[in-house]
Amino acid sequence: MYDNDQRPPRRVVITGLGTISSIGLGVAAFLDGLRSGRSGVKPITAFDTTGFAHANGCEVDDFDPAEWIRRVDPDELGRATQFSVAAANLAVADAGLSLEELRQRRALVSVGTTDAEARDLDGLVELQLKDGPEQLPPGVVRRAQAGRLSTGIVRELGLTDVEALTIPTACAAGNYAIGSGFDAIRGGEVEVALCGGADAVCRKTFAGFYRLGTIAPEVCQPFDKDRKGILTGEGAGILLMESLESARARGARVYAEVLGYGLNCDAHHPVAPDQGSLARCMEVAHRNAGVKPEDIDFISAHGTGTRANDVTEAGAIRQVFAAPPPTISIKSMIGHSMGAASALASAACALALTEGFIPPTINHRETDPECGLDCVPNEARPAELNVVQNNALAFAGNNAVLIFGRYREAE
Amino acid sequence: MSPLVLSAWSAVSPYGVGSASFSEGITAGRSAVGTLDRAAYPGPFERGGLVPDFTAARYVGRKGTRTMDRVTALAVTAVGRLLASCDAEPARRPEETALVLGTGSGSVQSIMDFTRDSFASERPYHVDPARMPNTVMNRAAGQSAIWHGIKGPNTTIAGGWLTGLLALSYAVRLHRGGHCARVLCGAAEEYSTQRAWLEWHGRTAEERSAPLGEGSAVFLLETPEDAAAAGRSPLARVRSTRFRAFGEQGEARTALAACVRDALETTGVAADDVRLVAPLGAGGELAALEEAGVADALGATDSRWVRCRPLLGDTSAASTSLQLAAVLATVGGPGLAPGEAALVTGIERDGTVGCALLTGA
Repeated sequence: MYDNDQRPPRRVVITGLGTISSIGLGVAAFLDGLRSGRSGVKPITAFDTTGFAHANGCEVDDFDPAEWIRRVDPDELGRATQFSVAAANLAVADAGLSLEELRQRRALVSVGTTDAEARDLDGLVELQLKDGPEQLPPGVVRRAQAGRLSTGIVRELGLTDVEALTIPTACAAGNYAIGSGFDAIRGGEVEVALCGGADAVCRKTFAGFYRLGTIAPEVCQPFDKDRKGILTGEGAGILLMESLESARARGARVYAEVLGYGLNCDAHHPVAPDQGSLARCMEVAHRNAGVKPEDIDFISAHGTGTRANDVTEAGAIRQVFAAPPPTISIKSMIGHSMGAASALASAACALALTEGFIPPTINHRETDPECGLDCVPNEARPAELNVVQNNALAFAGNNAVLIFGRYREAE
Repeated sequence: MSPLVLSAWSAVSPYGVGSASFSEGITAGRSAVGTLDRAAYPGPFERGGLVPDFTAARYVGRKGTRTMDRVTALAVTAVGRLLASCDAEPARRPEETALVLGTGSGSVQSIMDFTRDSFASERPYHVDPARMPNTVMNRAAGQSAIWHGIKGPNTTIAGGWLTGLLALSYAVRLHRGGHCARVLCGAAEEYSTQRAWLEWHGRTAEERSAPLGEGSAVFLLETPEDAAAAGRSPLARVRSTRFRAFGEQGEARTALAACVRDALETTGVAADDVRLVAPLGAGGELAALEEAGVADALGATDSRWVRCRPLLGDTSAASTSLQLAAVLATVGGPGLAPGEAALVTGIERDGTVGCALLTGA
């Protein structure tokens, strides 16, 4: 939706949240999980885990797509797209927008992902090994497309004046998608944006991380001296964003304001993060959002629970912040939901700002002195928050940092 | 702020590596679809548009390319040639330069081979860790950045046949949001046996046997001021991108016509000024709806139509980027003249349409 009109920048607010996670379906359950430090860990059921010495994960285990998806046949959607579509429905309802109102607005739909429908691709591989490639089911092949994660939302909501893109920038993709929605609203290109991320647990990614030795045997313990790695998870987080003007005009509840974001690329290593580059990304985000390090009240870290990530990320935070604020990882609760991770973390940031608390880092026993951060161990902490930061890192050195602010009516 | 301009481009296509062979092939209207080497590419297709003799070792180099898959090598090569064509100048300001690259599903060959190893090996985790990054869809964009030292925003975009148009739209939005000074923007798609089987099963009967193609096209998108300072003459201005969605297939025509009309009206470009149209031309009946939709919006004009699809095959996620390259190839060295406009369009079978409107710089 690009053209070159000169429009003054608008303020961008989040007025709807849709969350599908291993600690609950819908925003109320998600909030309750974050507050109470609920764990979504259980043995993986998505695929046959025979032969793996351990196979815990954070699956969404009580999801009946027919309950959450109304117009599109759920069988035409892969599991990640089902999550994405369900979360979009939830976000629209949460924002109090009728479908009629929504369809009258020019929209951007952008959904981040790591694996898209790799779960279906896994299934197709299994079929191919059994019967050969001549006999694959067309319906599954058709739905196993990355683009579906965003066009599925368009079909379900019956949008017509819409730009729909999927952003497969791996484990930072949710922040990328939300950032693009922020720019589109801010620049006056669209009147509503449905943005976030989605992924489904799959064998391919579990086997890869397991082979790399980065799957924790039992639980995910970010910043703990005994942390043992990630747990693969799944779900979706979709945020409904609009201009402050539009939210005010319809008397919408505002969760938070999106203040800005920063992106950069280490351009250094395919999988190992780079401290200096991540620090620079945070600085870029602060500049874009017009905030200073001392304004940040807490950081929602990428915090995967691997040795490499947590030390590098903590180092980058200390490089930017003279006195680092509390730094938490909700991956301790919901695992690493890949492309959904930073979108669900963004939803958590928005809820934290609204409700006045910092979500905890659970499974925590002893902070790694090499990390040396206050990770709000095990129990949520009440706090009056004004500005919060959400970090995301991805393979290929793709960093994305979002900044959210509390919205006060009186302003 | 003046509109961003396209000031350099490169293509890796079934015509060969480089924009010269692409320009020559497109302007001659010569088909690059040939008989597939069935030993190397078994599968449902006998013909296809492959980049001739392309391997990572040959075009990217032997060092560090042992595990580099084909789509990544195509992207690294296209980005490398784009940088070389502007004296590597954008790479000397690496933090200010963004890379936005479109992809279908990354490499389905890499992804599904990895899963196959998990199923077929003695242990389910006997997979090659060095190949794991190939199974993540941001591999081509990320590796292009690593290879060429591009440290600004690095984003991968997917949207089926509309991918190249969506990448362009994302790129100008990123620039407008103040996240970069310039963008290297395009898309890449590989030919593989696995992709061939998925396309074969996913298509309707009427389009099933249309040959596949592959390739990559990448553009330098910058301000006219920066182009002038670097001594590059702009080839075209990116004036507008527009997208819509449709429900029933027949509505694709009106949806695309609405996009084109909106692009023309918003920018004040007259339909008569549209000298070139580069449609996707894919998807069986959708191809006819696309042409009809564009004609509805433009009315009776004597625009020239550049049709890539019969020449290159179905290049899937790279299609609309290669169409944009075909526009620049057709207008040649000086680019679009003042007062001239060009239109790139597409319809995706998932129910979305899009267009990009370019004018002379």
